[in-house]
Amino acid sequence: MLPMRPDLLKGHLDTLLLAVLGSGPQHGYAVIEALRTDSDGALDLPTGTVYPALHRLERAGLITSDWQTVGGRRRRAYRLTPAGQTALGEQRAVWDQFSTAVTAVLTRRPWPVTA
Amino acid sequence: MASHRLSADTDTHDDALAAYLADLAARLRGPHHRRQAILAELSDGLDQAAQDHRAAGLTPDQAATAAIAQFGTPQAVADAFGGELATAYARRTIVWFIATGPLVGIWWLLLLHPNPWRTGLIALVAAIPAIPLIAIAIVTAGGTFATTGRLMRWLPETGPHRALAATITIAAICIIGDLTVITMLLASGTPTRPLGLVAIAASLTRLACSITVVRHATRMRSR
Repeated sequence: MLPMRPDLLKGHLDTLLLAVLGSGPQHGYAVIEALRTDSDGALDLPTGTVYPALHRLERAGLITSDWQTVGGRRRRAYRLTPAGQTALGEQRAVWDQFSTAVTAVLTRRPWPVTA
Repeated sequence: MASHRLSADTDTHDDALAAYLADLAARLRGPHHRRQAILAELSDGLDQAAQDHRAAGLTPDQAATAAIAQFGTPQAVADAFGGELATAYARRTIVWFIATGPLVGIWWLLLLHPNPWRTGLIALVAAIPAIPLIAIAIVTAGGTFATTGRLMRWLPETGPHRALAATITIAAICIIGDLTVITMLLASGTPTRPLGLVAIAASLTRLACSITVVRHATRMRSR
């Protein structure tokens, strides 16, 4: 699948990041990889998009992070906060509604031509 | 996908990765602690990316090159973090102004407070004309701090450019306020009491800090 342009994801990146972290704590690079593999390569986002977005979500209190030492390296692991869990649930519902509505419009058959 | 979930890793940086991080470090602008945290985080990510490429069959040199290409040029990464670093700078500076405001203001309040028989806001403003400025600074600081933090989930988020503009505004208000009260005291012709000297010293210290903030924030804003 062709990679999507990052600007197409505007407005949805926060939800995607929350969804990836919904399955458990992960570090930044693992989040990038999860987005890429879970979308069959469509969401191959640059580092410069994902890491700052994670920092912004932490500032908003939707995720939190802690530093661990793994194999002598400092590693920052992100996890959802209770507010992040709630936001993810809400945004999933909004997305379901949105995608259903858009799909309905895009897949609508043309009106029959009347004589 | 390779397992990245907090798995152990014993790789060390090779020269190419270290050079990349050094280049990036030179381009990041913002609070020292935040820059260090970003570099440590990206260093770990780069190591992990290089390790994945080696596992996929690349030589260590090819893996390092591929990991660097994946992360983007140091300038692109520094630009991407510019907004977060600017916001972090603005928030930290605003906290500093909020925390030190009373330490400066208390001396001026003790020195310039209106006579006890004159009460009310008008008497207070007449005695200390900087008070409306302080009110504007407090509202600006509170609003910016709230809309760049947790409250941005419910309130419109203040972007990095606006956060820096608010920081410059607060610093400018402090400069005007400090100059106003110092000028008032010197022009009053009252003998310089120890309390006055402490108040002037506190204001001069904040004045120097405020000028530095205006310079830094303006430079960050123009990037």
